[in-house]
Amino acid sequence: MLAFIIRRVGQSILVLLIVGLVAFSMFRFVGDPIDNMLGQERTMEDVERLRAQLGLDQPFPVQYYRFLEGAMQGNLGVSYRQGREVSEIILERAPATLELAAVSGILAIVFGIALGVFTAIRRNGVAAHVIMATSLIGVSLPTFLIGILLIYLFSVELGWLPSFGRGEVTRIGETWTTGFLTESGLKALILPSITLGLYQMTLIMRLVRSEMLEVLRQDYIRFARARGLKDRVVNFRHALKNTMVPVVTVIGLQLGAIIAFAIITETVFQWPGVGLLFINAIQFVDIPVMAAYLMLISVMFVGINLIVDILYVFIDPRLRIERTGGH
Amino acid sequence: MRPILPLFLAGAVVAGAATAEEFRWAGQTDPQTMDPHAVSSAPVLGFLNNIYDGLVRMSKDMTLEPSLAESWDPIGEGEGWRFILRQGVTFHDGATFDADDVLFAYERASDESSDVRSWFSPVKEFRVVDDYTVEIYTNAPNPLFPASIANWMMMDRGWAEANNAERPDKENGNYATLNANGTGAFMIEDRQPGLTTTLVPNPDWWDEAEHNITRATFTPIQNPATAVAALLSGDVDFVEPVPIQDAARLESTDGVEVIRGVETRSIMLGFSHEADTLKYGASAGAPNPFQDVRVREAVAKAINVDAILQTIWRGNAQPASQLVPPQLSGYSAANDARPAYDPDGARALLAEAGYGEGFGFGLMCPNDRYPNDEAVCQAIVAMLAQIGIDAELNAMPVSNYWPELRADNFDMYLIGWSPGGSLDHEHPLRFLASTPNEEKRLGSWNFGGYSNARLDELLPSILSEIDLAKRQALLDEVTSIYQSEVAYVPLYVQPLTWGVRDNIELTQRPDNFFILRWVTVN
Amino acid sequence: MAEATNKAPVSTEQKEKSNWQRFLESDFIYSFKGSPIAMVSFAVVCILVLSAVFAPLIAPTNPFNPASLNLMNGFTPPMEPNAFTGESFLLGTDDQGRDVFSTILYGMRISLFVGAAAVLFAMVLGITLGLLSGYLGGWTETIIMRVADVQLTFPSILVAMLIFGIAKGVTPVEYRDQMAIWVLILAIGLSDWVQFARVVRGATLVEKSKDYVAAARLIGRKPWAIMLRHILPNVMGPVLVIATISLALAIIAEATLSFLGVGAPPTQPSLGTLIRIGQGFLFSGEWWILFFPACTLLALALSVNLLGDWLRDALNPRLR
Repeated sequence: MLAFIIRRVGQSILVLLIVGLVAFSMFRFVGDPIDNMLGQERTMEDVERLRAQLGLDQPFPVQYYRFLEGAMQGNLGVSYRQGREVSEIILERAPATLELAAVSGILAIVFGIALGVFTAIRRNGVAAHVIMATSLIGVSLPTFLIGILLIYLFSVELGWLPSFGRGEVTRIGETWTTGFLTESGLKALILPSITLGLYQMTLIMRLVRSEMLEVLRQDYIRFARARGLKDRVVNFRHALKNTMVPVVTVIGLQLGAIIAFAIITETVFQWPGVGLLFINAIQFVDIPVMAAYLMLISVMFVGINLIVDILYVFIDPRLRIERTGGH
Repeated sequence: MRPILPLFLAGAVVAGAATAEEFRWAGQTDPQTMDPHAVSSAPVLGFLNNIYDGLVRMSKDMTLEPSLAESWDPIGEGEGWRFILRQGVTFHDGATFDADDVLFAYERASDESSDVRSWFSPVKEFRVVDDYTVEIYTNAPNPLFPASIANWMMMDRGWAEANNAERPDKENGNYATLNANGTGAFMIEDRQPGLTTTLVPNPDWWDEAEHNITRATFTPIQNPATAVAALLSGDVDFVEPVPIQDAARLESTDGVEVIRGVETRSIMLGFSHEADTLKYGASAGAPNPFQDVRVREAVAKAINVDAILQTIWRGNAQPASQLVPPQLSGYSAANDARPAYDPDGARALLAEAGYGEGFGFGLMCPNDRYPNDEAVCQAIVAMLAQIGIDAELNAMPVSNYWPELRADNFDMYLIGWSPGGSLDHEHPLRFLASTPNEEKRLGSWNFGGYSNARLDELLPSILSEIDLAKRQALLDEVTSIYQSEVAYVPLYVQPLTWGVRDNIELTQRPDNFFILRWVTVN
Repeated sequence: MAEATNKAPVSTEQKEKSNWQRFLESDFIYSFKGSPIAMVSFAVVCILVLSAVFAPLIAPTNPFNPASLNLMNGFTPPMEPNAFTGESFLLGTDDQGRDVFSTILYGMRISLFVGAAAVLFAMVLGITLGLLSGYLGGWTETIIMRVADVQLTFPSILVAMLIFGIAKGVTPVEYRDQMAIWVLILAIGLSDWVQFARVVRGATLVEKSKDYVAAARLIGRKPWAIMLRHILPNVMGPVLVIATISLALAIIAEATLSFLGVGAPPTQPSLGTLIRIGQGFLFSGEWWILFFPACTLLALALSVNLLGDWLRDALNPRLR
């Protein structure tokens, strides 16, 4: 088991290095940061000088190497846009995204599994059909449009919920800010987390349902029923547990997707998280911020992958010999 | 969605505004720095005008008025300008303002690391006469110099030195990037770059406060729909700019008002004058038709500017005939007419030039730089198609756009120009119409390489002529040159639309700067 | 494990009938006839696909031809004559004076083509790599799954922007316009394959350890034959779930990319580009510019999803 983890960590570091290389090869296609840093009175000479100062005249592997050199020493560079440490900016923005992602993720998992189990057990019931059909409306429109429509309905027309931002936040410790402790903070979370979690919820629900249906058909479930076990025990102890391999895979994958989709949700709701930071960084070609963001979510993703792989081994013992035995 | 309207109104009324004197506003871009010499862009300079003061400042109707200088006079026969400084002014940290701070601000702003140093390129010498008098000598008579430094903001030498911010630092930032210490009407209470900036009034401000704000919070909101929603729901008191299509709807909503004006930015089409061949579209590689003035004139006649203004701008913009709008100084009233919409005449000109069969080319267009830029380009594509020339539209974000133009990757392009600084006709002449010349800092935005010897010859005289009538005659001549050669096709002057809750009174200045000290919350 | 090989034995009687007859009498069609949702969805998908395919015949105007547009027709409400030109349009016009009905038909062609091609691309790529990595294991698996990690790390939006940027760099300038659609397909397809690969690999790992695969291996079946004949049919269930959602999702992904400014060009708009343009007029009262394209997208994505739901149940003999 330990060897397996060590090997996977090694691979993960390799992944991070490749992500960085790809990212840096891409940045020059995003645009030129210079135009956002100089006013209209600039001369071509100013442009060239600033390019050289920023090292943008170097080929991308050199730029990448410099970034890595800095990153090794814990220095992610300075934002072109904000003129301060990228690590400081990301630390400031991370709580907003993490709280939003956590709330969305929990909503998606709880409602997804509950509704999935319900629609599987009552597969022919009217309620199940209605839930299945209506859940699809939410995934049949683009996220940004759902967000805008929610704002239109709940902020502009009904005036119930704030149209943008995080509301009032409370500072906890040095770096963390939370919206959980104030009324306006909690209200501000509602629309964005629904927007963000809707798609994941539907996906989890559909998957749980289809896996449940498969498992419920299998002999051991029939035997369990035949043995007189209660429905609840059969459904949850036996059936649900055995649907978990693909469900855990998908939840793992969707955690990442939540972070990725947060980019759009944060843009629509002006949510002050790292996704918005990243979109702004693209807009202004803020290379240090883009690089740091990509590295950060790479680390997160690789971490999630690692955990999913390990969970696999725990959930499905047949894989244990396979994975730990090595090849 | 019609039936929803009554509900919509009710919601807007119930939501209400902020508690009195607390003012929240939203704009599209966050000022990227608090350093008044680091970035010469409208969002930065506009915002910092609330925190820092210059020697002179622009009034509500864009006339020059005293600020930290109580008066200014020319020295001799136009050798330079003498500024008499205001006494008893203190910075936010309590330090006294005097001539040494002006000298420091000059050194800082004219340094190589400064983005506003071009304001000081006419300066020959800076002299401190006494604690409250400074003299600035120019290379040639420069009547516009005081107006051109209206955004040159004063910084305290002691504060900058104590915080290692003697020079602006674009690459790494420094103390002045995040903090500010001006003499202005407002002080920074809290600054979270990209998120919110909170300002409070300066109790010791030298001028009498017109506003009644006790705290003001700025939030950048990029998505215009979100910003409009925030205004409608009462989450903010003021939004700039409001998308033009939403103006009518906002006006008909209780509790919200729209303030309209004309900005100083003219939008125009530029051509590739220098390139020998076309680079895009069906005729890529063929000889460049835009080198022929008849083809350029045909383009000008083919564009129905009235239709663009009527539909896309909903009657809120004015047509443009020159590189500056009529409101600005130096505008040539003698050359007021713009080419009439005349598709038949355009076809005839094309035929005369030997392009009766039409041709294909590429039109470069930004899609996030100017309001409605992409929609206007699309409309232009359709109008040009009607005279038989097929534009392939290449719309892209602005961070890709300027690099493409700098690399000469265009046949025709859209550009907007606001004469920051001098707010005079000479400004676009220097940047857009003059033959590109790196050494003389001329023509740096003249991507198409338009060049006219007579225009280049007249430009220095325009810059140094003190007699306003003579100067205007020169400007009239230059205007008729670039008009008759169709160097650019000026389209329209961008409108300025702000949305406010109706308990707010404010003043809209034509340069699109939002001045907080003119806000009253009722 | 009897259910694992799920091919029902074909009786001699059935063999005598024509394929078509057999199809009509199959459980598949029986199930279809028993599901009103499936029938309605199928009809909607058919109508939409056919009207997209035959758009040039149905649409009153060709919105992709700039010479035919009159800007003064802009913002005409549905079924009302324009104040300047007197022309009237079934679903109104957009900001450029384009007939919304025609634009939807032409836009749907692009959306459907991009969606279908992207999913096909993602599916083939994902299944192949998923099977390979699950079955072969070792370095093949390590490399493929690490590439998948890299891929997943990049938000699909960014993958698309990357491909856009690189495509822009490598293609001659005069072809850029026609390229946008292919770049979209590549971008959406490449951002989607990992889902297929992950699920196929996961299922393959489970199937591989089952007795029948070991048996097939024992009797000397070649690895690719085992993968295709034995493992693939057993992982098709989850793959179909994903493919269904992916088709609708790809169409929506295209819309999202449009919102971020990386979609189909505005002169040849897809449904997504139309929605992106239309959302700017949500507050201004020209609701039809957003409403009709959004409804079309909803109808299309929803019926594909519903059809997929039913298809999954119908194709899976274990659920009957």
